[in-house]
Amino acid sequence: MLLKDQLDFVKQHIVKNKMRVFMTILAATIGCAFLIVLASVGFGLQQTVKNEILSDEAVTRIQLYDDSLTKERAASLKDEDNVKAVVQKTHLPMALKSELDDREAHSEGKFYDMTAFQKVNGKLAQGSYPKAADEIVVGYHYAQRLMNEADQEAYNEKVEAANKKQENYMGEDEGFKGNIVGQTVTLTVENDEEQQVVKPFKVVGILQAPSYEWMIDNQVIFSDKAINFFAGLQPDPFPSEYIIHMDSMENVKPLLTKLKKEGLGVYSVIEQMDQINVFFAVFKAGLLFVGTIAVLIASIGIFNTMTMAVTERTREIGVLKAIGASPKLIQRLFLMESAFIGIVGTVIAVIISYVISVTVNFALPIVLEMATGEDIGEREMIFSAIPWQLVVIASAISIGVAMISGWRPARKATKIDVIQALRQEV
Amino acid sequence: MIEVQNIAHTFLIGKKGAEQPIHVLKAISFTIKPKEIVAIVGKSGSGKSTLLQVMAGFMKADTGSVKINGKETTGLNEAEHAAFRLTNFGFVFQNFQLMPGLTAAENIELPLKLQGIPASERKSRVEALMQRIGLAEVAAHYPNELSGGQQQRVSIGRALITNPPIILADEPTGSLDSETEQEILQLIADLNKAFGITFVIITHDDEVASFAHRRLKMHDGQLKEEA
Ligand SMILES: Nc1ncnc2c1ncn2[C@@H]1O[C@H](COP(=O)(O)OP(=O)(O)OP(=O)(O)O)[C@@H](O)[C@H]1O
Ligand SMILES: [Mg+2]
Repeated sequence: MLLKDQLDFVKQHIVKNKMRVFMTILAATIGCAFLIVLASVGFGLQQTVKNEILSDEAVTRIQLYDDSLTKERAASLKDEDNVKAVVQKTHLPMALKSELDDREAHSEGKFYDMTAFQKVNGKLAQGSYPKAADEIVVGYHYAQRLMNEADQEAYNEKVEAANKKQENYMGEDEGFKGNIVGQTVTLTVENDEEQQVVKPFKVVGILQAPSYEWMIDNQVIFSDKAINFFAGLQPDPFPSEYIIHMDSMENVKPLLTKLKKEGLGVYSVIEQMDQINVFFAVFKAGLLFVGTIAVLIASIGIFNTMTMAVTERTREIGVLKAIGASPKLIQRLFLMESAFIGIVGTVIAVIISYVISVTVNFALPIVLEMATGEDIGEREMIFSAIPWQLVVIASAISIGVAMISGWRPARKATKIDVIQALRQEV
Repeated sequence: MIEVQNIAHTFLIGKKGAEQPIHVLKAISFTIKPKEIVAIVGKSGSGKSTLLQVMAGFMKADTGSVKINGKETTGLNEAEHAAFRLTNFGFVFQNFQLMPGLTAAENIELPLKLQGIPASERKSRVEALMQRIGLAEVAAHYPNELSGGQQQRVSIGRALITNPPIILADEPTGSLDSETEQEILQLIADLNKAFGITFVIITHDDEVASFAHRRLKMHDGQLKEEA
């Protein structure tokens, strides 16, 4: 029998039992859509968490903090495969006070080899990188944090008021309003043993704004040549670490593993990602399992429909076999019918799921916002995501289940005894 | 054309554990030559239909062999039997066995579909045949819109459409009045002459029996030539 004739045959029977087939498709659709939407929550949340981590530039970095690291090894790090740059970062392990006229601010201080730092940090918001030892670049919010007493009072009041309204106040209104680049600030470093260094530094550049809106960056970045100014301050030397910048995220893992094997203390956020991925794999599998139960329930409908179809066509099947239809053909015709139910149900389910998914992602933040009063719209939460993998898995499950539940009735059709079938009343 | 040798079959009837054997066919042997019209007669329950079902491969006899057109069909499996039937046999039943959802033309077309013949060729063959057996007018009618005689013509059409060498008919005129029966017999005679088709007709109607070239009588599980 030609494929077209087989399809015609199947179509004819479906049209003849429109209502029954429709209801069965409806059940299959609901089951499959339930499966997809449920699992999409797992995919969505995973993506949200992943985005959160990936938006942090730290994903392409390896932090290496180890006293056992030799100078030679440190120098050879940059020759490892896929390493873009190795930056030695030395922390100023004590409070750093900046003063400009009547204004002052407290920040963290860090020392970098400026050539390497410039390479990984890229463009500044303003100004240039330090060339001389007494030049510094400062964080984006540094000027804003340089406050006099009046500023401090106004700031405290505004923060308090904002807290009452459950809002956040970052201090945009206060601080040094002129151009900080070009200014000379007096920096004071003091340790617990009351050792003190006071020295003027010239601000030559401002870093880009931090990637998160809620972050305040008022750090002070020194050239590593400036370390000498603080010589003699305990602890000596200052703690330092190496930050290895890789060219891409995929290349982080291999080097991380290699350095670990060498017995070095290394860390990368990528490692968290592995754990998160494992967690979500289990989570998604659980959701898929629950969703599959819905598909299985729908499959009972398909089984019933197909059994009924075979039973009421017993005589016709008998005639077909008598005039020479092979059992294989008869089985195929019925399998095609259950496959049709499964495929149409799945296709509709996929479309519906996408609509639900988009709607949920659009509407849920608004609903949550109204319910809790918290502003989460800015955080770009994804509640439901349907990647193609999910579509493939869900389609395979529901079409597979449809075929399996149609298989027994189809087998039954092939087993029909010609003589018995022909005896049935017309 | 048809060689049947030593076909024997026993049915077990009754409740499980207390079955009773009925020896319906006891070592039946006969030969039917090409282009013959043979009637198989006998009392009701004598085993005529059973014999035909064995010949067609609808069931397996306990012992014996059936050779059709020189091909041994006894050992064929279900699928092979089906394929064999599709090209070698046409069937006509007492209660027509038409597909209620298909028109007269579509019913006749069905075996050609099973053979995988393309639609255009099917159409012309069906039209030609329907013309030939006087059904052109009712091509678009469904079985329940046809008279008994017309339905039987359609079923003969369906048996003929694949040009099989043999047509097996079980009481083809059993549900028709005598006038219609004559029409059908006339059609059978025509087709036998025109296409040289071999007919094996089961009947207990004397009219039909005397119309055949040869009669074989079923009695007590045996088949005997009747004068
Ligand atoms: N499937 C079966 N199981 C048990 N016994 C059967 C079966 N089929 C037929 N028989 C028995 O075999 C015998 C022969 O039946 P068959 O139908 O061949 O007779 P027949 O000659 O065609 O009769 P009729 O002229 O009434 O059609 C009968 O006694 C019947 O009861
Ligand atoms: Mg009979």
